[in-house]
Amino acid sequence: MSQAQNPAAIMNNQDTHSGVTNAKLGVWLFLASEIMLFATLFTSYIVLRMASTSWPWGWDVLNVPLATLNTVILISSSVTIVMAYAKAYDKDKGGFQKWMAATILLSLGFLVVKGFEYGHEFGLGIGPHTSVFYAIYFTMTGLHGIHILGGIAVNAGLLYMSTVDGHWRNPLFLGRVEGAGLYWHFVDIVWIFLFPALYLL
Amino acid sequence: MSADTDAAKHDEHRPNVALYVKVFAALMVLTLVTVAISKIHLPPAQAVALGLFVALIKAGLVGALFMHLWGENKLIHKALWITVGFAVVLILPIIDFVLISGRSTSPMAVADQHPAGHDTDKDKAGEAAEPMKAGH
Repeated sequence: MSQAQNPAAIMNNQDTHSGVTNAKLGVWLFLASEIMLFATLFTSYIVLRMASTSWPWGWDVLNVPLATLNTVILISSSVTIVMAYAKAYDKDKGGFQKWMAATILLSLGFLVVKGFEYGHEFGLGIGPHTSVFYAIYFTMTGLHGIHILGGIAVNAGLLYMSTVDGHWRNPLFLGRVEGAGLYWHFVDIVWIFLFPALYLL
Repeated sequence: MSADTDAAKHDEHRPNVALYVKVFAALMVLTLVTVAISKIHLPPAQAVALGLFVALIKAGLVGALFMHLWGENKLIHKALWITVGFAVVLILPIIDFVLISGRSTSPMAVADQHPAGHDTDKDKAGEAAEPMKAGH
């Protein structure tokens, strides 16, 4: 079997001359661009906050208990996806599907809680137009929410692929799970900074 | 799972479930610490510094142990350091605008810095009263 036909050979492709697969390097470079995106938004937040004559305390204007619940949900989903990776590593299909389904459910839970928050705020007539604080709040949490949606799509795709024997047995499948996990952990890290910046400090 | 399986031969990281559980517990405790910090009414600068410090620890735990950056290939480390370098180069001058030079974009501060050319509240009142003279 030639290298082009042998999945194991493809898996072991070290075109970067450093032992990193091209797929993993690609995911990390994508995350690097995401870091730049959110870094500019956090910079905007700092400048707007420092330059503002007044800035509301999150406890007064946002629902901190709901946001704390969402933090717990997102951190839990980071654990469930790394458990899904562990099960994929062990070739335990049932375990992988259980933990990946838990990850997707937790992600949907995050969006539902966020939806309650947004719904309450919109019900009060509060929106991005209300103030500089709400403008940056809706921009950052909205963009983060879109990233959650993207993660759900990828994770649901992997869950489906695990039901197809050809995909599950493909040696590249583990790398795909790892890539999805890296993205999901990044989304978690963004929230780890968003939570105190917008809600607590 | 033995080391001679397909996956272990390549660059995927060997999972450590016991470690993941410990990190999860640490992240939960640090989340409570973050919330507690905000409730003890420290001076703003100290509260922000402490909150940012705890967030950095949490992000470090997720990055190092969940994303397997601890022990990751040096090429990935280099790519991330270059990214951090670019972010710092882009961000520092912007933050400098407010933090170091002492300038501010708040309406009052801008009015102080540019008293002749800026629309103060008084100017705006004048414009409302005399719209024909308000052109620039």
